[in-house]
Amino acid sequence: MPDPLLRMTGVSKRFGATHALRDVALEVNAGEVLALIGENGAGKSTLMKVLSGAVPPDSGSMQISGQPYAPRSPHSARLAGVAMIYQELNLAPDLSVEDNIMLGQETGRWGILRRDLQRQRVRDVLDQLGHPELQPDTLVNRLSVGAQQLVEIARALVMEARIIVFDEPTSSLARHDVERLFGVIARLKETGIGIVYISHFLDEVREICDHYTVLRDGCAVGSGSLEKVSESEIVALMVGRTVDELFPSVPHTPGDVVLSLSRLSGSAVPTDVTLDLRRGEILGVAGLVGAGRTELLRCIFGLDPVKTGTVKVGQFAPRRRPSRMIAAGLGLVSEDRKGEGLAQSRSIADNMTYSRLQPYRTVGFLHLRRRRQAVSQWMRKLKIKAQSQEQSVENLSGGNQQKVAIARVLHQDADVLLLDEPTRGIDVGTKAEIYRLMGESAAAGKAILFVSSYLTELLAVCDRVAVMSRGRVCEVRPSDKWTEETAMAVAVAGESI
Amino acid sequence: MWKQFAIFLALSLAVGCGGGSDTDNSNGNGDASGNASGGGKKYRIAVIPKGTSHEFWKSVHAGAENAARELGNVEILWKGPLQENDREGQISVVQDFITKQVDGICLAPLDSQALVDYVVEAGEADIPVVIFDSGLDGDKKNYVSYVATDNYNGGALAARRLAEVLGKQGDVIMLRYNPGSESTENRERGFLETLEKEFPDINVLSSDEYAGTTPESSLDKATQLLQKHREKVDGIFAVCEPNATGVLGALRDLEMAGKVKFVAFDPNQPLIEGMSGGSVDGIVLQDPVKMGYEAVMALMAQQQGKDVEKRINTGEYVATPQNMDETEMSKLLKPKQFED
Amino acid sequence: MSSETNTTTTPEPQLLATSRGNALLNVIGPFLALAVVYFFFGITDATQEDGGTFLTPRNNRAVAIPTATVAVAAMGMTLIIIAGGIDLSAGTALALCATVLAWCLKEGASPTLAILAAVGTGCLTGLINGVLISALRVVPFIVTLGTMTIFLGVAKIIAKETTVRPDRTTQIPEWLRGFLSLREQYLFPGKWFVPWSGEVGADASWFRRTAIWVAESLRLPVGVWLVIVLAILLALVLRYTVFGRYVFALGSNESTARLCGINVAWNKIAIYTLSGFFVGIAGIYQFSRLSVGNPTSGIGLELRIIAAVVIGGGSLSGGRGTVVGTLTGAAIMAVIASGCTQLGLSNPVQDIILGVIIVVAVTIDQIRQRRLAA
Repeated sequence: MPDPLLRMTGVSKRFGATHALRDVALEVNAGEVLALIGENGAGKSTLMKVLSGAVPPDSGSMQISGQPYAPRSPHSARLAGVAMIYQELNLAPDLSVEDNIMLGQETGRWGILRRDLQRQRVRDVLDQLGHPELQPDTLVNRLSVGAQQLVEIARALVMEARIIVFDEPTSSLARHDVERLFGVIARLKETGIGIVYISHFLDEVREICDHYTVLRDGCAVGSGSLEKVSESEIVALMVGRTVDELFPSVPHTPGDVVLSLSRLSGSAVPTDVTLDLRRGEILGVAGLVGAGRTELLRCIFGLDPVKTGTVKVGQFAPRRRPSRMIAAGLGLVSEDRKGEGLAQSRSIADNMTYSRLQPYRTVGFLHLRRRRQAVSQWMRKLKIKAQSQEQSVENLSGGNQQKVAIARVLHQDADVLLLDEPTRGIDVGTKAEIYRLMGESAAAGKAILFVSSYLTELLAVCDRVAVMSRGRVCEVRPSDKWTEETAMAVAVAGESI
Repeated sequence: MWKQFAIFLALSLAVGCGGGSDTDNSNGNGDASGNASGGGKKYRIAVIPKGTSHEFWKSVHAGAENAARELGNVEILWKGPLQENDREGQISVVQDFITKQVDGICLAPLDSQALVDYVVEAGEADIPVVIFDSGLDGDKKNYVSYVATDNYNGGALAARRLAEVLGKQGDVIMLRYNPGSESTENRERGFLETLEKEFPDINVLSSDEYAGTTPESSLDKATQLLQKHREKVDGIFAVCEPNATGVLGALRDLEMAGKVKFVAFDPNQPLIEGMSGGSVDGIVLQDPVKMGYEAVMALMAQQQGKDVEKRINTGEYVATPQNMDETEMSKLLKPKQFED
Repeated sequence: MSSETNTTTTPEPQLLATSRGNALLNVIGPFLALAVVYFFFGITDATQEDGGTFLTPRNNRAVAIPTATVAVAAMGMTLIIIAGGIDLSAGTALALCATVLAWCLKEGASPTLAILAAVGTGCLTGLINGVLISALRVVPFIVTLGTMTIFLGVAKIIAKETTVRPDRTTQIPEWLRGFLSLREQYLFPGKWFVPWSGEVGADASWFRRTAIWVAESLRLPVGVWLVIVLAILLALVLRYTVFGRYVFALGSNESTARLCGINVAWNKIAIYTLSGFFVGIAGIYQFSRLSVGNPTSGIGLELRIIAAVVIGGGSLSGGRGTVVGTLTGAAIMAVIASGCTQLGLSNPVQDIILGVIIVVAVTIDQIRQRRLAA
């Protein structure tokens, strides 16, 4: 039997007292896609850091095509043919497509660029990916996220990568970008490149992967061919829980209207949106990226300018400014945790209480002891895992960061929660906790507007789901009157069917 | 010729239509003979100080305007560098006035050497230059006249006044201004040489410290110096106004005001009040109004073909607590300032 | 480069997040601003009773000279700012170079040696900045804030806390004094370059006048021509060399550059050293203009240098900037200074106008960025 393209055996890594990886083994064959599955904190990213040379393993060995492989840095890993496509794309936004693809690999003589040769190489690679329509002169910051991803993949090809690792590549892509990416991955497979594909979306994994390896608590707990395993078996491996526990239901009943939008239009999107949200109700908002879902929440919250229409909270229409909206009882969890949602370098306690510091304030001075008590209560309630409440948010895992963001609106005691993709990039176990929190909040009489790209969760968690397309709300139905197919059809068609 | 062309260029490029007015209202392209022949002509004279924020220069401005009013046919164009000590800025101002083809330039050079070439350049464009306040190196033929205080004598007056209040003996400090400033260096030299020659019993404790250009830097330096020589020092001389302001502040902070005899150069309000209050024993005065006046007058005299002296002295005086209320002195203590 | 491929493969709409356009405006924006300022002062001056001198060739030359001094140093700053850095020490380093040059001449060194020493000093200051920034991993703002006063101190030591004055006539070579001079004998090309010179009266045709105007405006001192040559060289380096690509990559996304195997530390050192070279040249310019070396004459200059880059479209967040833009930015500031003097506007007014221009330039840059982000 020939050597596999990549073989990792007995890889272990400790960070202080915690075992990030324990004796992990993994194999990828040429022309094969391996799904690496696991909750956040299961050790996927550490394993990939070991593979890409960012972190040296404590023990264990790696081989590429039977040759020992021990990268000292990400760059030397690249030279050995291992490329990572990260969730946060690694591109120079002010440079052109060509310059980005050739970065570090410039063709030239005596420091002078040979643009003709470069251009040819770039065109070849883009052809190979099946996207010759990408213009090499375009600046990368003018490309959509999906196209930027192509540029990164092209760069990996220029470096003659043999193994490409995709880390959650679809988490910020719209559906048609996902399709395109899958097309590209299929082409890469054909050329004999081995691919490691990390994702939370099990349906996606099924679509493009051949084999799987599941990690839990730093151990490889199962692997094999995807054809011979059911989704629930994988989930069970990941979390040690059954599927029913994925969407825990908390009974809640809708009451009076608390937020009512009337013909609301923003500068581009949303367009002419009329919606009512009741106490004790979870209203889902589905739609493609760009349909105006995020902008709808931002308009409501006073972050984006409103062209026409009104936002009423209870009986009143507060001035459209975040401070007034918070006072009126609205709370927003942003989709962009890094850039907007959280002050990354500040502590958990600070982040949790920014929107409501009044209870701990005496003539402008903070009553820190009282705040500490309140914060630790919330941390217990939301099961936020951290060393202390003074730990800065940037060191937390994605799931815990999201919990801090949600804890802020809960601490703020908002009546209306505007949640924008609250489960994006979060592992299954934490998602379940967030669904339960939403259910409990609704049961406590809060109203929730829940924006998500993941139809399965919308349909499972919400009372009603509104589907948006091109800025408009096309149709609102109770969740049980939708299926994923009908919702998607409306989102794409832009009209009710 | 260029004025017409400029209008043409402006119009054709801005409005987009060619052609310009053909009326010939040219008023000189550096043609000196044309200037002389034009009777009843208005003379534009650029006056370029070292800076524009000190009170001293506002008085010079007032003097220049006095001359303009007296002559009737003179317009003063007043412009200094953006920052004090900005030699390059002053050079640009000189060149811009050459471009503007003014009829004469009065210049207080920030640097005795750096401005030489540009005064020559003005000469080549037939624009006469009068130097005032501080001297200029190079050939004296480059400029019409040098109008200034005799700073050496000013320093000597300060030495004599300090010696007088000290009873011709004691230990003194002299605080210098800034390296490379010709006028203050002459004061410093005049002060030191007079002490050496005329008052052998006066000992100079320190004479090599530079206070810098601002009252703040002077305050710091003066505080350090006075602190260091606290036990011995009997008198102090500050060679210019910002410098003296700093010294006065330091004397008050250290509670040495009145005990240490203090002679300043150039007045301002705090120093005058200090003199009434006994913390200042003398202020050497220049006559900035006269300086501005004489500079413009010298320039116009040359324009009219009269002989002008190469060196015009505008006088220096010592104000003391005793004579400060005399009309002559109070005029010099609070010289007229230019106001828009 | 065939237009055929362009037409057959128009990018599918999803690939582009923003529409085409703006690119042209980015390039000509600073020029437009320069033209507006130039003609604003020109027209205002021409319509005044004693005006008409602003739009003359003589004034074009006079404006070119302060432009040149700032522009040389600003070219180095452009490199640094594109690479995402900043250099607050440029002003005092420039004065240090001028002081070194003056000192060498005063000590009787040959002009060639003195100039090499000045340029070498410039490179050394850049090298020091680059090494400190790379080795200490401290942000450039702080490092250069420190070296700013260090260079000032070193210059004061060399000058013995005074102004270094080499003898004008014997120690400063003729060509160096004329390097930035407006005097007729130092202009290049000479008078022969101007067609129909000498016999232009009021009846001359507008065509002739325009030709003379252009030709006269192009007769500039050698220093200005050198700036143009340096600018072309630097623009070529930025556009056509691997190093040039790295400069942009560093400023655009440093971690990406590192990931792609670019030696970030070495490239930063190279960038700051090259910038130091320009500072050294700028020191020669300043000395040529002042004929003395004064340690303090660079204080505050760094802000004018940075302003030139920013007005010219450079982005302080890195990744963007052009040499042409920087030259234009320097010219805009010189035009304002000259225009204010000739219109008789006071210093405070000049300060305010300059400030407004800077704020407007930065705001335009912001709007541009926001549009890209949208």
